[in-house]
Amino acid sequence: MPCERAQQLEAYLDGELDAAGAAEVESHLETCSECRQAKAQFEELRTALREKATYHRAGAPLRARIGAALDKETPRSVVRRFSGTRALWTGAAGGATATALAASLAFFLFMPVAGDPLITDITNAHLRSLASEHLIDVVSTDRHTVKPWLAAHADLSPPVADFSRQGFKLVGGRVDFLEGVRAAVTVYRHGAHVVNVFAWANYGEALPEFATRNGYHIVFWRSGNLTFCAISDTSIDDILALSRLLKGLSQTDARE
Amino acid sequence: MDDRRRRFEAQALPHLDAAINLARWLTRSDADADDVVQDAMMRAWRAYDGFRGGDIRPWLLTIVRNCWRTSLGDRKRRGHVALPDENTRLPGDEMTDSGPSPESSAMRNAEGRKLDAIIATLPDEFREVLILREMEDLSYREIAAITDVPLGTVMSRLARARAMLREKWLGEVEASHAL
Repeated sequence: MPCERAQQLEAYLDGELDAAGAAEVESHLETCSECRQAKAQFEELRTALREKATYHRAGAPLRARIGAALDKETPRSVVRRFSGTRALWTGAAGGATATALAASLAFFLFMPVAGDPLITDITNAHLRSLASEHLIDVVSTDRHTVKPWLAAHADLSPPVADFSRQGFKLVGGRVDFLEGVRAAVTVYRHGAHVVNVFAWANYGEALPEFATRNGYHIVFWRSGNLTFCAISDTSIDDILALSRLLKGLSQTDARE
Repeated sequence: MDDRRRRFEAQALPHLDAAINLARWLTRSDADADDVVQDAMMRAWRAYDGFRGGDIRPWLLTIVRNCWRTSLGDRKRRGHVALPDENTRLPGDEMTDSGPSPESSAMRNAEGRKLDAIIATLPDEFREVLILREMEDLSYREIAAITDVPLGTVMSRLARARAMLREKWLGEVEASHAL
């Protein structure tokens, strides 16, 4: 015969009771062994559901399909471009990412813009990496391992650091190619999302400041003689946050 | 227009995993789940101007569930309904996992697969509230809105879903410990 408070206990464990209701259940739990047992079982089940049952995730093909379907219903290219500072300021004033845009000003060279094939290349490289055949060449959470490896294999030495505390865990690096040019890729994990940060030597090719392709957000910036690009399916604000951390690192590296 | 697309992608696409997870648990098939989610995302895109702000996830999941109901009707009329299949997509398939050791994750997978199979056998109306509550961490009120039933019904379905699951799952666990 279950305790008559069983339903109330469940609402309590679901966080649906107000403070008074919660206090009532808590004092009831002290005297009712049946409810204590029910609570233990409930928690065991919840842990199993959250940690052992499969949480399905969207695969790259589905993202690509949705991106293509959206393209069909979007009249113009989604790549935002800047043709001059006026467009920049209009854009910067308009969005929620105004501060981020302003912050990136100091690092970005504005030029007449090209770059569509590049965005395709970056998106494809990202998709390939997610298909896990080629995510990481060097697995390490230690920047002192990843940075020299990239220097040796990609001839590039982009800033690398583990930003676990800020939510971006360094998981490794690899070498990839963008439009035939060798790029050093640093791989970060942000929750369930993978962020690929590409760095390559670029001599003046103009780029958009950010872009969205197939649901992946892409942020570009320049620092020193390197061009950087971060791509992920996480929110654009998250990617901008990581790009800010990396820009900060470039400045520190430059001073060292 | 570009701006609308950009806003939509920034707001909606981070919840694509939640959408596919719900669709996959409702349809119990990878291919059907992909179709339901694509349909749902396009409907969301077309209806985006009507989204009144706030948390977009429950709004998207409502559309996903409606698309699933619609597809269910279509399929029944065509005379076939998906049976629970073996998981064709396992956790960690899409990304290399830097998690625990192979043995412990293999054990977790075996247990997880059993649990998956048990969840898949729950009737639709119990399975959906369970997924929304335990995997998506939504409130009773949000679940009531998504599944279009009164709050009391959400509570009783949730209780029933847990009772069924508890019985089968704890039975499995005890059986495996007894070996």
